[in-house]
Amino acid sequence: MTDSRSQRWRSLVRRELREYRVSLVWTPFAVAVLLTLLMLAGLFVANQFSNLGEIVLDVISQAQDEDGLSVNLRMTVDEDGNRVAEIVTESTESLAGGLEPLRRDYQVEAAPELADESLWSFASDWRFRPYESAAPDQDSGESSGPVTSLHPLLYGIHGIMLLVLLLVTANYLQGCLYVDRKDRSILFWKSMPVSAWEEVLAKLSVALLVAPALFLVASVLTQWAMLLVALVLSSRVQVDALGLVLANVQIAHWLLDQVGGWLANALWALPLYAWLMLASAGARRSPTLLAVTPLVVLAALEAVLLGSQTFIESVWGRMPSLTPDGASGGLFLQGLPWQGGGLLAMLAGLCVTAGLLWGCVWLRRNRWEL
Amino acid sequence: MTAVVEARGLQRRYGEQQAVAGVDLQLEAGSVLGLIGPNGAGKTTLLRSLLGLTRCEGELSVLGLDPRREQARLMQDVCFIADTAVLPRWMRVRELLDYTEGVHPRFSRAHAERLLARTEVGLQRRIGELSKGMTVQLHLALVMAIDARLLILDEPTLGLDILFRKQFFEQLLNDYFDEERTIIISTHQVEEVEHILTHAMFMNRGRTLLCDSMLALEQRYVELRAVGEAATRAAAIPHLGQRPLLGGRALIYEDVNRELLAPLGELCTPALADLFVAKVGEDNGHD
Repeated sequence: MTDSRSQRWRSLVRRELREYRVSLVWTPFAVAVLLTLLMLAGLFVANQFSNLGEIVLDVISQAQDEDGLSVNLRMTVDEDGNRVAEIVTESTESLAGGLEPLRRDYQVEAAPELADESLWSFASDWRFRPYESAAPDQDSGESSGPVTSLHPLLYGIHGIMLLVLLLVTANYLQGCLYVDRKDRSILFWKSMPVSAWEEVLAKLSVALLVAPALFLVASVLTQWAMLLVALVLSSRVQVDALGLVLANVQIAHWLLDQVGGWLANALWALPLYAWLMLASAGARRSPTLLAVTPLVVLAALEAVLLGSQTFIESVWGRMPSLTPDGASGGLFLQGLPWQGGGLLAMLAGLCVTAGLLWGCVWLRRNRWEL
Repeated sequence: MTAVVEARGLQRRYGEQQAVAGVDLQLEAGSVLGLIGPNGAGKTTLLRSLLGLTRCEGELSVLGLDPRREQARLMQDVCFIADTAVLPRWMRVRELLDYTEGVHPRFSRAHAERLLARTEVGLQRRIGELSKGMTVQLHLALVMAIDARLLILDEPTLGLDILFRKQFFEQLLNDYFDEERTIIISTHQVEEVEHILTHAMFMNRGRTLLCDSMLALEQRYVELRAVGEAATRAAAIPHLGQRPLLGGRALIYEDVNRELLAPLGELCTPALADLFVAKVGEDNGHD
């Protein structure tokens, strides 16, 4: 019984993945390949990355000197897309002896082509501190982001994957209960012994779990590729490359953060998912229009009649945030979305979701004809 | 005999329009019912009510279940082809078999593949690339590989050429039908299904005009083919309908003494299509 039930669910999910093969299965891996190629191109072709690579090599080479110098590389990408890298070498001995520390600054010229809309802002502040990872973070004033140096870069990759995931998921949810009504294949699906609840929940689980899992796998693979590039880069200067890279990545924290962060945000955004599905189940012409129009009308009515924006703000608050405060992009556990609103808001969202899903099922049963 | 379908006072209204207006139907296992009616008569709505695909009022039981509440469970024992070309066009044939195998406990993949091997439908073909005839062949193979107790076909051969239509119904009768199974077919091609029917039901404007076994219809209705003077005399006897023949007329009578008609010409059982035209003509003439 359990076997046949799990086989049913596998079949239902596989059917969705086959129908949305391009957007749900191919897209994450295509983006992964693209990002990896960009990374390689950036490292081996593009000037700025080549320069950066040289600088890193220089820095690491210097760090190998046994003259007591410790090296810190600091790279900043600000909101305007200007990229600044500076390398600080310090003589720890001289500090101990009360002498002035040595200091040399390098500046990489700005890369304005990266600057654009604030939504896409992946402003980051990452540091390369090969010899500080074992020591406690001395710069506690800036501890809102990940503490290790490679994390922001990895999280940047993850952020891009999540942005694509959000777009793909929104597209999937709008179409999943509409397309088969439009092409009349619903008459075939309904001839199978699958209840409307099973259909709706299978589709929701694809959006909530399966598609994110595929994107997360693609994202993690891309990030491993990035680490591999870092490894190759470091090994060129005959240092303990593996140790160096691993010292800058807290793997468990990194994975938990990315997977858990997505799940937490997805649960928070669940009412929006269900709303899109309801629009998909009820639309006669355009699910997008049906999804957006009531929200706009309600927001406008509230603004005109009450002069407030509570409704639209609460809807907007449910959107997965791609640029949480202090992070470099992506959805992470550092800022659980319901921390401000409390667990009650989370539960309220789940109740609304249940109501909307019930609406989807009712429409699927009784109002499926276009 | 077990009643497969029991409906009493079945109604379905779309706004002002009464699509199904108080239909009664009782069908036993091993029957093949032909549902015949003009466009807009309510055939599709009636069939969808039986399948739980649309809301309706009245008493309804299909295989002991209420389709309105237990549609998914009912689909384990009921198969239907609601229209031609409703199979998902994006799927490959193999994927369609995968899905059906995964969700339908009574589906035999091996049987479906055997049936498909007789056709030109390859397992790797995308359904959207198949011709209409091949799509129907695929759908029929799928349905025949499901060990269901009731099969409902709503215009299954609409738009197909005569060769495909003939093959479809032959296959249905020879390879599928047995005394345990029940089939309901709605079609405009009355002549092509007439020989496989055990029961016939005529509908017009949401109402049942006639619902009986073919045997009862043969006993109840008679067609007289009369020529010349006899045709004029025959027309004077109350009849359901008539149509011109070469040099005479064919008239259909209901519950009439056949000995009275015998001297006037040749008596025979009316074709279902002619009986249908006569009944609908009579019904429309009453308004």
